[in-house]
Amino acid sequence: MKSPHIYRLLGGAALVSLLSTPGCGDKGTAPTAAAPGLPAAEPISELTVARVDADLSKPDPDASYWRSSAPGAITLIAQPMIAPRPALVTTEKLILQAVHDGKHVAFRLSWADPEMSEAGGLGQYSDAVALQFPFNNEKLPPVMMGGDGDPVHIFHWRAQYQHDAEHGKPDMASLYPNASIDMYAMEFHDAPGGSRDEREMFNPGVALGNPQSFHKTAVDEIVSEGFSTSAVQAGHGSDGRGVWKDGSWSVVVTRAMTIDGGSTLAAGGKSAVSFAVWQGGQAEVGSRKSLYMNWLPLTVAP
Amino acid sequence: MSTVKNWQLGRDIAYPYDENRPKKQWAIVFDLNKCIACQTCTLACKTTWTSGKGQEYMFWNNVETKPWGGYPLAWDLRVLEKLGRQDWSANGEYLGKTLVEAAPPSERVLHWAPEDQDWMYPNIGEDDCAGGTVDGGGHMAQLPHDKWFFYLPRTCAHCTYPACLAACPRKAIYKREEDGIVLIDQTRCKGYGECVRACPYKKSMYNPWTRTSEKCIGCYPAVEQGVQPQCVVNCIGKIRVMGFINPPWSARADNPIDYLVHQKQIALPYYPQLGLEPNIYYIPPVHADPAYLEQMFGPRVHEAIERYRALPQDPVAAGLLCLIGSTDRILHRFKVERGIATGSDADGTELVSVPVTESIFERSAFDANLGVVRNNTP
Repeated sequence: MKSPHIYRLLGGAALVSLLSTPGCGDKGTAPTAAAPGLPAAEPISELTVARVDADLSKPDPDASYWRSSAPGAITLIAQPMIAPRPALVTTEKLILQAVHDGKHVAFRLSWADPEMSEAGGLGQYSDAVALQFPFNNEKLPPVMMGGDGDPVHIFHWRAQYQHDAEHGKPDMASLYPNASIDMYAMEFHDAPGGSRDEREMFNPGVALGNPQSFHKTAVDEIVSEGFSTSAVQAGHGSDGRGVWKDGSWSVVVTRAMTIDGGSTLAAGGKSAVSFAVWQGGQAEVGSRKSLYMNWLPLTVAP
Repeated sequence: MSTVKNWQLGRDIAYPYDENRPKKQWAIVFDLNKCIACQTCTLACKTTWTSGKGQEYMFWNNVETKPWGGYPLAWDLRVLEKLGRQDWSANGEYLGKTLVEAAPPSERVLHWAPEDQDWMYPNIGEDDCAGGTVDGGGHMAQLPHDKWFFYLPRTCAHCTYPACLAACPRKAIYKREEDGIVLIDQTRCKGYGECVRACPYKKSMYNPWTRTSEKCIGCYPAVEQGVQPQCVVNCIGKIRVMGFINPPWSARADNPIDYLVHQKQIALPYYPQLGLEPNIYYIPPVHADPAYLEQMFGPRVHEAIERYRALPQDPVAAGLLCLIGSTDRILHRFKVERGIATGSDADGTELVSVPVTESIFERSAFDANLGVVRNNTP
């Protein structure tokens, strides 16, 4: 390898630069665009969950009861502990509001994101936000994904999942409308196909029951006991709804206050919460995220 | 970060996990001088494994024309460009950095991330010739040809130090102890695509329907039955053989793969400088540009070509090449005695036996029994 010979073969630097358009994950600087849609908020070091007289079982970003909770801002950093991680923080400020009705607790989370990303195709990633709660309110687990025998309970909203919930899981024709597909094994336009098992044999994730391969509600419930251990579990009616407008997301995630075998918030009680945000347009996914580096103390109004 | 031994580079390298070689290591040897890019391997794989939704664009096995072809688009150029110029020593030791060693602190593997349109031209550059323009005359008169191209069939290399495995933050990728095949656990994968970004050979692929990443599975259901993969047994040119390779310190001369890679040293890993110890090996084409071949196969490529040219004088090597493509079964051992090449199973059971030189029969054109003249049509 004395010289990069292929450069000469391919006709020099002009073609090389033509081919080397930055790919996903190489998009450079973090977005700094102002977000007119973001509410004004003061920095906070703890969060109070206000009690409202409303049904919070369904998420509603535009409900009037959000006026009961003063927006508070926390500062996120680029996930620092484990590679791969963002070279730069992409979401610096997350604005929080929280309310409960005695049965459900809802959080409205707002942040600046210059482009709306729902993922779908190859090399595309979804905007997302996650809330993390301790199983044990008295002795908090390690804030980064919990610890061995010391689990955390995560509620993970993705724009991609919300698209599923509102429009159905996209099929290949909607992901790639110009693609030409003759037929799939066991699926024919004008003849009886195979059984469901026979058809699913050709879709490994589906055949093996991977939750990722199925139609999503807007929110995944996840239990984690440390890095690399997170696993989606059966949900407990948590739900989410986000609106992207004028360069910012406003996402409501609602969950039951009491979840057997999970995290629990009690009216008049205390707990803690932490957050992570992914900007799909910056190819963020998995450990490439902005996060809150601490447990944020949570006080639930009686 | 651990320090592990990479025999292909002649030195220790950095890798996120400890050295843990499998009991056996799946490997394929391809003779690039014989490949005609018929794509029978590609379709054998396609019809066996990737006919489902979200797999429309996937070719776990592909054949591309070098230097112009590449699936995904210009994958090798773009990965080499990321790594920048690196050098080998005169005695074949790699002096440069591997993709793990060259990664910035925020990444596990230095990588190029393909976008969807990069996958959409699997046969781009087919049969396009390199070496400048032709103005007439005898341009193929000497070797190596000044006008050249060659075909490169590619599968997952089931690397000893896989970049996909190193990069997966969910630890959803594992290397099988029994045969070294690298698999993505389809129940654990969450489709982050880190393996798609990290694999420099671009042999992990995202399935947008199942939302998981998928890759060549080495036809492990066949391998477990002692049968070679679909791309190998369907190769009409008999250019490839699958078996199990040992590292050089435990190589066996009667193991077909060890013989070609370690004993005769005519088959080489491709882009070994990336540092993954890939386990697909190529007998390099004799007619291509030597500098290009050196970039792809390392500095030992020139000796490998010389040894390949001398094979007709080596009855053992010639016998082994006759065994390639003569059986669907995995050959663990072979021997060549009295003009007969024999391949056998791990327990010594004979699987196939072929003459090194086919007998020639002569007969008259006129068949007196039938009263007809036979044409000598194959």
